Amino acid sequence: MLCENCGKNTATTHIKKVINGVSTQKYLCGSCAAKLGFTGLGSGSIAGMLSSFLGDMLTENAGLNTKRCAGCGTSFSEIIESGKVGCAQCYSEFYNDLLPYIKRVHGSVKHIGKVPNSAPLAVAEPNRIALLKQHLNDLVAREEFEAAAKVRDEIKELEAKEMQ
Amino acid sequence: MANWYNEIGPESDIIVTSRIRLARNITGFPFPSKMSEQQRAEMTQKVKKALLEINAPFAKNLRYIDMGDVPEREVYAMVERHIISPEFAGSNSTRGIIISEDESVSVMIGEEDHLRIQVLKTGLNLKEAYDIAERLDTLLCQKLGFAYNSELGFLTECPTNIGTGLRASVMMHLPMLDYSSAVRELTESVNKIGFTMRGLYGEGSNAGANLYQLSNQITLGITEQDALDNLEAIAKQFIAKELEAREKTDKQLLEDEIFRAFGILKNARLLSSKEMLRHLSLIKLGVSMGIINIDASLPIKLLVEGQPNMLMRAFGELDSRERDIKRASFIREAL
Ligand SMILES: [Zn+2]
Ligand SMILES: [Zn+2]
Repeated sequence: MLCENCGKNTATTHIKKVINGVSTQKYLCGSCAAKLGFTGLGSGSIAGMLSSFLGDMLTENAGLNTKRCAGCGTSFSEIIESGKVGCAQCYSEFYNDLLPYIKRVHGSVKHIGKVPNSAPLAVAEPNRIALLKQHLNDLVAREEFEAAAKVRDEIKELEAKEMQ
Repeated sequence: MANWYNEIGPESDIIVTSRIRLARNITGFPFPSKMSEQQRAEMTQKVKKALLEINAPFAKNLRYIDMGDVPEREVYAMVERHIISPEFAGSNSTRGIIISEDESVSVMIGEEDHLRIQVLKTGLNLKEAYDIAERLDTLLCQKLGFAYNSELGFLTECPTNIGTGLRASVMMHLPMLDYSSAVRELTESVNKIGFTMRGLYGEGSNAGANLYQLSNQITLGITEQDALDNLEAIAKQFIAKELEAREKTDKQLLEDEIFRAFGILKNARLLSSKEMLRHLSLIKLGVSMGIINIDASLPIKLLVEGQPNMLMRAFGELDSRERDIKRASFIREAL
């Protein structure tokens, strides 16, 4: 059966309406039913947000940084242009630069998932204390003292571990 | 052993497949876009060796395929049965795949990341699929060493995948939500909470087979368990909404539509891909609503096997007219 409204598409919706005590029927296709306001299905909107992608990130901050990754030679502006990070080391070399973008994409900057448990991984772990110290300086510069205190504690903890 | 599209699984009426992909990179090599051909070859060899040493019960009879040796037809037939991504198929670089006999477990080597571990299951089966992927990941990690740091988790070429590197998805058959255009609204709502949804063969009631892929976007700051639970919860909401829409619909009208589609598939002499998708979608709906009584796995099986490259894989090179003839006869006989 074809849609009574457009006469083109297959009718998939049967609508019964009572207007002034007179019941009328209509056979409509999906798009006409929607157009005429017979959707009926709520979207079940759920709260929350986050959808931005690297696309939004292209313009900001690029070009300020001429430093290149010692591991693969990629500069930060190249990462921003291509949306691709050159190597694992880039993530520590450009940690502070990448952080705001990562935050925007994921809403978080801290991994809480699977922790691999094997020897070769030590190679991949950057110099974490140096990294954190850099991060700490940034936080202090931005006067985010609460976050800075946390980072400082973590550094202390790691340094204590190294002493052992 | 049967491929995913020959079987049915939990909630198969609406959830066609569940898929897990883990993005991993091995230490000691730059990410794929920065690799030389020589590094690619070296990395591929290394991964291949490690993978073939594994003989776990969940990944039996893994074999390595150098994609350079695979004829183009078969490469795209692999895309059509959802084993590899179109990007991977289209690349000219050295790349390979390790794949299990039933093709449910595979590892693409040299895609956007060094490794893309993939497990594909029929129906709503995210937990089982993840469990297999996770165990394979652990074994490979011990052998290869993956790029990881404790702040950012597993490191990937694209920052959108860092953390867990987990991309989980379900392929859903949503004909009634599609006809009523509710899919569009629902797509917007899931976008707002960190999920994406896209139509598999186009969107809208006349576009394709009303198949949609829903997947998680966020991989950092969330555990694998939570990501899977959230996806499953949303998938179940889609199931409920689709069933509700099926319940509300005019049964007589729908039955008429379904039998018309059946009649066309049973009698057509020329059948385009587009027509096949639309009618098989109605057949699948008819089967799950008890209107048509055929093997429940058949609509999706025919939908996959009726794709152009899959057809030619089975019947040899065909031009477009010959394909429409072959598709029509093959489906006529199967129904
Ligand atoms: Zn219409
Ligand atoms: Zn680098």
